[in-house]
Amino acid sequence: MSKLLVVDDEANIRLLYAEELAEEGYQVVTAASTAEAVEKLHMSEFDLVVLDIKLKNESGIDLLQKLVKERHDMPVILCSAFSCYKDDFSAWLADGYIVKSGDLTELKQEIARVLAKKAQRAKVGL
Amino acid sequence: MDWECCWDKSTVTTSDCPNIGEGEEDLLQSQQRRILEKCCDCDRFKHDLARFRDSGNPLAPVLALINTEYRHQKNQIQSLVSFLDNKTLEVRFLHELGSVLQSSVDLDEVLSVALTAITAGKGFGMNRAFLLLFDRNRNLLYGHLAIGPRNYDEAWQAWNEISTTDMDLQTLAQNFRHKKLTTERAKFQDILKQMTFTLDNSDHIFAKTMDSNQPALIEDAFHHPDVDPELARLLGVDTFLLMPLISRNRRVGLIIADNCITHRRISEEDMRSLETFTFPVAFAIERASLYDRLQVELNRVTEAGKKLKEQQEQIVKMEKMALVGRITSSIAHSIRNPLMIIGGFARSVLKNTPETDPKRDFIESIVGEARQMEGVLDEILSYSDALYPAKDFWNVNQMVTATISETSDRLQALGCEISFVPGESLPAIFIDYKQVAYCLKTMIMSAIDGHKGGRIDIRTYGDGDQVIMHVSDTSVRLSQEDLDRLLVPFSTTLELGSGLGLALCKTILDKQGIAFNIRLLPDTGIDYTISFPTRKEE
Repeated sequence: MSKLLVVDDEANIRLLYAEELAEEGYQVVTAASTAEAVEKLHMSEFDLVVLDIKLKNESGIDLLQKLVKERHDMPVILCSAFSCYKDDFSAWLADGYIVKSGDLTELKQEIARVLAKKAQRAKVGL
Repeated sequence: MDWECCWDKSTVTTSDCPNIGEGEEDLLQSQQRRILEKCCDCDRFKHDLARFRDSGNPLAPVLALINTEYRHQKNQIQSLVSFLDNKTLEVRFLHELGSVLQSSVDLDEVLSVALTAITAGKGFGMNRAFLLLFDRNRNLLYGHLAIGPRNYDEAWQAWNEISTTDMDLQTLAQNFRHKKLTTERAKFQDILKQMTFTLDNSDHIFAKTMDSNQPALIEDAFHHPDVDPELARLLGVDTFLLMPLISRNRRVGLIIADNCITHRRISEEDMRSLETFTFPVAFAIERASLYDRLQVELNRVTEAGKKLKEQQEQIVKMEKMALVGRITSSIAHSIRNPLMIIGGFARSVLKNTPETDPKRDFIESIVGEARQMEGVLDEILSYSDALYPAKDFWNVNQMVTATISETSDRLQALGCEISFVPGESLPAIFIDYKQVAYCLKTMIMSAIDGHKGGRIDIRTYGDGDQVIMHVSDTSVRLSQEDLDRLLVPFSTTLELGSGLGLALCKTILDKQGIAFNIRLLPDTGIDYTISFPTRKEE
């Protein structure tokens, strides 16, 4: 069972993601801030991070850069209400980009795609 | 002694004196005036003087001497009076000329006055005059205007016409300007266009005249060492006058005047008279030329001011739009999270609700409405994104093909036909690909949304520096009012639904400086014409 870390400052969104992704068979852990996310990442191993970009007074992009630097094997899917970040070079570091929607189909498909890609890379020893 | 002349009579009759004519009857009663004005020149008086001399009177030679000297002085005074009369006429004419020249800043009017003054009988009475203007940049004189007859018949007709009317200089000049300026220009066009003379050659008679700033009377032009034979041939006369037009040490032009018809000798006196005339003419021409340039500059400044104002208005508009964009973006993002939570949980609940549950319809409504609101939010966010285009060079035909391909499934489902005629060898267009493709998609989707059937024809072609995309949509029928409303953000029409749609397209294309025209086709639909630039704007 893949373990996902969902980082979002909105409690209801964390709850929705946790419910929906658990239903898909993932083990979901949530974090409300980048500090909490970093702490949880240190405490436990995760297969993928679903990361919001606008987190109250913080930027998810900063956490993304930190993860790329320190945990380059950790896939990250950016999930934001802002479609404009799609064209931002910083966001290109992420493995996937989803514009938030009540319909989580796209998010679920993206998670499956990124995890499959990760598994394939592990298989060939990258 | 019986005298032949009547000088000794206090009163006479007209039969006594043959020199008293009509209107001079007062001399019949005035012996003194008659002697001074008539007798001194009378042959009878001369006979009387001779007889007096023959009589041996010693006073006779003295009287003859006094008479001779008196007649000489009288002739001199008469010459001076005649000279003064001529000068008075000349001064009056120059005053009239000066007044007319000073009152005008119109170059054509000034030139008409100047050339009319030279050729008019009451002016300097020359037969023909050419005006050459100085081109400062190229240091040359070029033929600009000429006046005068080209042959005897024309001269006779013109002078006859002038002699029957008594017009002052201003009227003559106005008459020339309004009735003859164009025809005179055309009449002398063949000569004027050959009259281009560089002043780089300091030996040329024109260069010498301009340098000396003195008029020159050229005689025996065909054999004159300083006269170019070609110039003499062009003018066809062996005598002509050159008058440099210099104003405040600035070269303005040169006037060539001649008597090509009458061949009247041009005197030094003529030359001196014309010399006084050239300064006000040169000054007036320079002033009128400056006024012309000033007018051009003024027009440019006015145009620039107008453009600046338009740009200011555009900037204010853009700032307002940017503000609207920021506000809508901020509101849209604030709405998106709760909307997503509502829609997300509603979906979640719906999944776990049995098909038979009566509440399922309510939940489905929440899911549907949330989806629709998310669609509206996407449009609003696209509207604010449209304010910041990222432009590059793209192939218009590839963009159209890709966009048609994206919409093909929906087009097929609705039975809508679409055709595309790509233009050949079109240059790349300078656009924000994503935004323009969105506009084309919006036009196509506007055509098919809520409608079945219909037809969309797209074609591209080159037009000068631009590439035109023409979209013809025959699936909708709109009124002009509906069309106007469609171009205002957030307006609605029954036919094309709600939202931003074409208003957003217009904003996107305006922002990129792309002309977007929509035309209603009577009873058939809508025509969209988009003109794409093929160059980066300055």
